[in-house]
Amino acid sequence: MDALPAFDLLRPTTLDEAIRIRVAHPGSMPLGGGTDLVVNIRRGIVAPAMLIDMNAVSELKTIRADARGLEIGASVKLAELAGHPDVVKHYPVVAQAAGFIAGPTHRNMGTVGGNLCLDTRCIYYNQSEWWRSANNHCLKTTGDICHVAPKSRGVCFATFSGDLAPALLTLGAEVDLVGPTGRRTLPLSKLYIGHARQGEPVTETRGDGKYFLSLRPGEFVGAVRAKNMPELRSAYDKIRIRRSIEYPVAGVAVALRREGNTLADLRVAFTGTNPRPVLLEGTAALCGGALDERVFKGLDDLVRDQIMAMKTTFTPGHYRRRVAGVLARRLVTRLFTD
Amino acid sequence: MARILAFVLNDRARTDAVPGNLLLLDYLREVVGLTGTKTGCDGGECGACTVLIDDKPTLSCLTLAASVEGRRVDTVESLGTDGQLSAVQRGFHEKLGAQCGYCTPGFIMASAGLLRKNPNPSEAEIIAALGSNICRCTGYVKIIEAVQYAAALRAQGIAP
Amino acid sequence: MNKIVPAHNIGGYVPMIDGPEKVSGRAKYTADIMAPGMLAGRIFRSPYSHGEILEVDIAAALKLPGVKAIVTGADCDKTFGVLPIARSEHPLARDRVRYRGEPVAAVAAIDDTTALAAVRLIKLKVRELPAYYTAKAAMAPDAIAIHDKKPGNLERDVLFELGNTAQGFAEADLVREETYNCAEVCQNQMEMHAAVADYDAVRGRMTVHASTQVPYYVHLMLSQILDMNMSRIRVIKPHVGGGFGCRTETLNVELITALLARKIGGSVRTVITREETFITHRGRPETDIKLIIGLRKDGRITAVECECDQRGGAHSGYGVVTILYSGSMLYAIYDLHNVKYLGRRVLTNTPPCGAFRGHGTVDIRFAFESLLDRMAGELGLDPFAVRRANYLNAPTFTDNDLMVNSYGLPECVDWVERASGWKARKNTMPKGKGLGMACSHYISGASKPVNWTGEPHATVKIKLDFDGSVVVLSGAAEIGQGSSTILVQTVAEVLGLDLSRIRIVTGDSDIVPKDNGSYSSRVTFLVGNAAIDAAQNLKRVLVAAAARKLEAKPEDIECLGELYRAGAQDKGASFDEVVVEALKDTGTITVTGNYSTIPESHGGKKYRGAAIGGTMGYSYSAQVVEVSVDEETGVVTVDKVWVAHDCGKALNRLTVEGQVQGSVWMGMGQAMSEEVAYHDGLMLTANMLDYRVPTIQDSPPIEVGIVESNDPHGPFGAKEAGEGSLAAFLPALTNAIADAIGIRFNDLPVTPDRVFEAIEKRRRALGKEKNSSGGA
Repeated sequence: MDALPAFDLLRPTTLDEAIRIRVAHPGSMPLGGGTDLVVNIRRGIVAPAMLIDMNAVSELKTIRADARGLEIGASVKLAELAGHPDVVKHYPVVAQAAGFIAGPTHRNMGTVGGNLCLDTRCIYYNQSEWWRSANNHCLKTTGDICHVAPKSRGVCFATFSGDLAPALLTLGAEVDLVGPTGRRTLPLSKLYIGHARQGEPVTETRGDGKYFLSLRPGEFVGAVRAKNMPELRSAYDKIRIRRSIEYPVAGVAVALRREGNTLADLRVAFTGTNPRPVLLEGTAALCGGALDERVFKGLDDLVRDQIMAMKTTFTPGHYRRRVAGVLARRLVTRLFTD
Repeated sequence: MARILAFVLNDRARTDAVPGNLLLLDYLREVVGLTGTKTGCDGGECGACTVLIDDKPTLSCLTLAASVEGRRVDTVESLGTDGQLSAVQRGFHEKLGAQCGYCTPGFIMASAGLLRKNPNPSEAEIIAALGSNICRCTGYVKIIEAVQYAAALRAQGIAP
Repeated sequence: MNKIVPAHNIGGYVPMIDGPEKVSGRAKYTADIMAPGMLAGRIFRSPYSHGEILEVDIAAALKLPGVKAIVTGADCDKTFGVLPIARSEHPLARDRVRYRGEPVAAVAAIDDTTALAAVRLIKLKVRELPAYYTAKAAMAPDAIAIHDKKPGNLERDVLFELGNTAQGFAEADLVREETYNCAEVCQNQMEMHAAVADYDAVRGRMTVHASTQVPYYVHLMLSQILDMNMSRIRVIKPHVGGGFGCRTETLNVELITALLARKIGGSVRTVITREETFITHRGRPETDIKLIIGLRKDGRITAVECECDQRGGAHSGYGVVTILYSGSMLYAIYDLHNVKYLGRRVLTNTPPCGAFRGHGTVDIRFAFESLLDRMAGELGLDPFAVRRANYLNAPTFTDNDLMVNSYGLPECVDWVERASGWKARKNTMPKGKGLGMACSHYISGASKPVNWTGEPHATVKIKLDFDGSVVVLSGAAEIGQGSSTILVQTVAEVLGLDLSRIRIVTGDSDIVPKDNGSYSSRVTFLVGNAAIDAAQNLKRVLVAAAARKLEAKPEDIECLGELYRAGAQDKGASFDEVVVEALKDTGTITVTGNYSTIPESHGGKKYRGAAIGGTMGYSYSAQVVEVSVDEETGVVTVDKVWVAHDCGKALNRLTVEGQVQGSVWMGMGQAMSEEVAYHDGLMLTANMLDYRVPTIQDSPPIEVGIVESNDPHGPFGAKEAGEGSLAAFLPALTNAIADAIGIRFNDLPVTPDRVFEAIEKRRRALGKEKNSSGGA
């Protein structure tokens, strides 16, 4: 039997109850499908005193998707999202990203909230307690150095690997946060603060692989919303060494609008590379003309400047960055010409 | 703290006191004694522990026992009637979908979940549905044949 | 009345006899054995790579309520190891720790939670020593010895030259040298290691349930480690969730659990984690190969020179045999003369390697078939033609004295060429797609057992009692490969009975005869022959009884399985009636069947260790692999595999196909995604996310052609089917990639990043060329 640290498990059925529990128990953590959190508990990475099982909270289990907009509750299962006919029809990038996560059984369990808040990953971090202890721990847990970049001076480079975030970022999504001090809405891009520049101090708004979410204490994701832009074409693709179970080596979401022969709008977002999902900045400057070599060259430049894959996975960072660029180029071409 | 868990296990109502940190896998194996469900990895990487919760394949190694309150859990021991093997079990036996047999209960439950949802899956749908399960013996070729055979047995009413 | 004929099963598609237990969840594996009062075992492992042990402090752990016993190296000064010549390992480290993860102490406590808490309280103090994580570092002149008796950290070097390589190379039209690197890989069988030990202190008896391939070795090692008379030990092997070689050796978990059980005089169950299972290891070592082949324009190989370094890990394990196989098995597939081999097995501060499916032959075969393919291309020869130019002329003995009687390689090669449509498709594949082929072979059990006792190599017993049930008793370990099914089939076939008449009992040393175990693909050939012998002996008893009953001469008795009669007109006696007659004089009947290998199969004496590689029969395999390469991402997809395997005679076509598909696929894992990697000796990939076993979504259709060369010594002509097809996949893949994109990969695994890098490198080189020619 696997010896898990002791914790209590509560199953609220309403959002209010969930919030009350969260406020009353500062050491609690919300539990979605468990495909990330329970693994980390089993490895002794986190040891919450209480888990709040969010799967019975009915308010968080709805998908609203139509030609006007998309709203997905945090407890919606990834399999349901991937197969939802209106999401498939109006928001293909979201359905595709959800359908690409881990493996089919994992998607029956994993939730939208869980994938949006997926803990960042690193080969020196996602190891057993014995392993991490034999390696003198690391910045993301209780250690002093980042084994990926020992000279990082306090910056952790663990990689964000959720697939939904980049998809939703290309749709300009907003996220509803729920917590002890009430509810607030943020642009999804502001949820992710894992900027992690070597030598740059970690602050409340510019974090790293360890401090990668802008959640306040006790706060959790309630829902994520996006407006529909009917002309926007979108798609998701990713590379893994194996085609199932694994986290992405690199994942790319693209949304674009074509007017005649002109590229009118372009959004490109990545996962599996940086400590946050990266919505490329500067793509607007690539729009306004035909889809030509200038656009691709510009895209390559933006990827080179903004995508920073370190040795956090077993697959070299250099490859992850390069292949991310290749996938982006392909998706842009496909969506533009389709 | 232990909580009272009331749910349906293999078609029988069951009530138990379970601590919050007890995994469904360990509950099934060590508390109930249903050892057909296997532990194959340190969490979510192999699918050997797959059971059905409300007919959906689920990894019992990442599911807390207390969270199945009010739900229906089926393990490999639930399959078959009157001592006869179910269609999926016959498929894995007769088509050699099982060699060492250790991943087999997980594969069988993932396959049973598929066939309950989709009685006549294509080869691509079978492959898509079994993507969370690792087998180290077969190379999967005969597992695909096993599920196809099971679907045919069900369709012909030969086995449930 | 139905006409009675003997039942036949050989050559059919026979589902495994233990399948119903497995598909119903009733099959009990070691971890499924639980009893009230049983204690939980847990191992404390060294966090250090290499160090002199100063103190193992268990005081705090002992005080923890619920802790019943703790054992350390102080509890056992004996060593173990699979090879009698290399028993250097303590179940719990004494004096020194040699790799990160080596067991140092173990706790038995009332439950897992307490055991884990106790392990966390154990403190190890060491004086750290320099650690070596590569073969090269360990062989450096200033490296200290990891084991005192092994200076230079050389576990074993092997050197031989048979023929004259200098002359051979001189006769070649093309001589080429290449280097190859194969990453360390491991079995990663689905069942994690587990052991249950029960010590009866009143009677002084030990019972151990172990997830092992060789209960007999566990028995021997328990006796040695516990210093107990073997007669006081009982070893039981429940269902085993795969082994692929790592459970050939007795593992430390089995010995440690027994030490704990004896210390507390009770029952202890230790189920180690997946990470610990990885670290227990016994996988295939990282191998560096330098290979030189001389080839003539007609495709004939004129000489071979091979250097092979294996990073063996911190203990010998099977290492000596692995490095010998790598040399000896250069032979017995092609007609080779003028061969020179230098092999070095090196000790390093990493977990110990061992025997992994295709033991010792896989990485060498990858290098050989890769280089042969490359050179064929350079000489403008078809890859099939090059293989055909070098066939053995069986029956024959190789230059290193290996006996080859049946040789189905030509039929295998023909089959895959035809099935894959090679001739029509090879030169018409679209861009990014390619076809590659390669061959491989393997032994059907080593001809000389590891522990030479003078006994027959295999013994099977059959019990027949008043109920008419035929019970086969065998020590051969069913580990999912189907050995029990094969033994039942052979007995049923000889007796002409339906399979349902026969039962088999295995895996309990109190009941079944000793067996040398399920490894090196020995069971079908060696134990299968012993089973046939036993069944024939039983048949003789039954025929004699029938003769008495029918008042006829034994030579006139016709055995039809369920009916024995004296001539076609005789209404005869039923099997059950014959059994009653047979039991009259002797009561319960037990017959014995034996099998011993013939001296001609024992290999030669031309160099030290030349017996390794000797077998009664070699299996042969040929493969064609079809790939698609995405040149922008480096992603390689295997679209299809055609494999033909010469198993002599397929006793069971279903299990032969399953074994061949499983081998090919396991080769694919090694070739494309699997790799054991370390960070300063800490295994980075000790989980099933980072150790990438292919999923169903990565796995191609594998079409199997069965070639039956009918080995003169094999049971019904059979040879092995479970290992020989693994190795050929690796070079067939890289040869196919070369066909698709014109780049040859000498290093495994061929992951997308490596393919991408190679394509980039070529692009840069071409760019440079273009630029320089443009400037001219």
